[in-house]
Amino acid sequence: MSRSTRVKTTTGMAALVVALVVLVLAPLGLPPFAMTLLTEAVILGLFAMSLDLMFGYTRLVSFGHAAAYGLGAYACGWMLLNTGMPLLFAVFAAALLTGAVGIGVGWMCTLATGVSFSMLTLAFAQLLYAISFKWTSVTGGSDGLAGIPRTVGPFGFAALSSKAGFYYLALACLVGGFLVCRALVRSPFGAVLRGIRENEAKTTALGYNTRLYKIAVVAIAYGLGGLAGALYAPFAGFANTELLFWLLSGQVLIMVIVGGAGTLIGPVLGAAFFMLMEHQLSAWTEAWALYFGLIFIAFVLFAPQGIWGLATGLAGGRLRSAEQRH
Amino acid sequence: MALLELDGVTRRYGALVALDQVAMRVEDGEVRAVIGPNGAGKTTLFNVITGTVKPSAGAIRFAGHAIGGLPSHEVCRLGISRTFQITSLFPEMSARDNARLSAQARHGRRWQPFGGAKVFAESEALADAALQQLGLGAIADQPAGLLSHGDQRLLEVAMAMAQQPRVLLLDEPTQGLSVEETAQAVETLARFLHASKMTVLLVEHDMEVVFRLAQRITVLHRGAVIADGTPDEVKADARVQDAYLGGLE
Repeated sequence: MSRSTRVKTTTGMAALVVALVVLVLAPLGLPPFAMTLLTEAVILGLFAMSLDLMFGYTRLVSFGHAAAYGLGAYACGWMLLNTGMPLLFAVFAAALLTGAVGIGVGWMCTLATGVSFSMLTLAFAQLLYAISFKWTSVTGGSDGLAGIPRTVGPFGFAALSSKAGFYYLALACLVGGFLVCRALVRSPFGAVLRGIRENEAKTTALGYNTRLYKIAVVAIAYGLGGLAGALYAPFAGFANTELLFWLLSGQVLIMVIVGGAGTLIGPVLGAAFFMLMEHQLSAWTEAWALYFGLIFIAFVLFAPQGIWGLATGLAGGRLRSAEQRH
Repeated sequence: MALLELDGVTRRYGALVALDQVAMRVEDGEVRAVIGPNGAGKTTLFNVITGTVKPSAGAIRFAGHAIGGLPSHEVCRLGISRTFQITSLFPEMSARDNARLSAQARHGRRWQPFGGAKVFAESEALADAALQQLGLGAIADQPAGLLSHGDQRLLEVAMAMAQQPRVLLLDEPTQGLSVEETAQAVETLARFLHASKMTVLLVEHDMEVVFRLAQRITVLHRGAVIADGTPDEVKADARVQDAYLGGLE
């Protein structure tokens, strides 16, 4: 490793640690309303990061990632409403269930490649969307599931059900998810994913069963996306059909692209940026989506590496000029 | 027993017979060229051997395994590595990472989803050795997409070699190179083949390249083998002159 990359990595790590400390201390200083927004941003960040494994690292473009989010939310909400399972168990059980469904989704969608793959992911999400309307006895139909409790359970996790406690639970899931994803993309498995992203035909020719790798990454992305959804249900107290709608699939794709695909951190920033914009612009105009669309176009045209790419590019540039001066 | 043996291998596309009862034996350590006019079935032959395309009929044996119809990743794992007629690399990865990913395909822990320093170290050692063999040691850190065309062709060979194959299939390794680049690449290949004693199956258009590298030549014409022998025998064969060499004049 050259000196400049080592310096860059240490600055990057330092920046992340500072950000984490700020996030951990946030409940001390922020008003309740801001805490609600921050918790949602953390949950959406985890959701966007899960899509980055598919989109950013493997170039598997999913138009139906809301399926993972909605499935996780409905599964967790249903368990909390009907089984009396404690919050923590319901959240992780829902994530596991979504990951298991992801194996089937991955198997089905990887029968095709390219645009057809994307269309199959969309089709699956729309299928779940339709089911959420019709299977009223389980999903509550168009009303959704309401009044989802944060059941405490017998193991002393009472702290997690408070506002700050739930925020820490979501934050721990985001940090844990990030560490898992980072280990994954740096591993031999991740090297193969990068191969599939750059040249799948060649990766197959080298002797990799690329379809199995793709199914695996879809399952992991679904598991993490399901975890995010499973956090959302007890956070909001409800789960409705919107969580499975294609609009959300499009929005999370935008979060990944605006934040910086293939960087893990970028999509988290993209999700926060999206929420901030939605909040600020909608206070100012009804047509906030139009203005956000313009921002999105600007990013695609002028900063395709996203927010994280811009930030690290700036930091890197400063380092380079500092090195030149010395 | 021959290392690679084809018997009655046929491949049809509808009414078109791309390979017609091809029989062929490649001995261990041999450099064999497969030549023939355009559309003779050379690339189809490679595709059938490597499992990209299933044979319609016939048997393919490799080191005691029947490999006809196996998927390509399994054929590859048994020890047959190939390069492509059209350059196919990972353009944003360094030359070393290209070869490393290739070597990793043979590693028992290629699925490992965490850490993997040991997997990477072993694969990287194979990658560096292969890059050295093909004279690419100096450009190992450059992105593959930025290399000269000649180096890209050699990198493909290095990637195949990083898998420590028992048979190397080279599909027109000098395709698209200028006369000068071709001469350089051929010298590098000749040195490498001489030093490594690799078993090679080579498809090539350029007769000078074929006569410089190959010890035996198989001639395909309209999917069928019409001649098989040393370069001198093949040059003297009347049917070959008629079908192929004659066509050049």
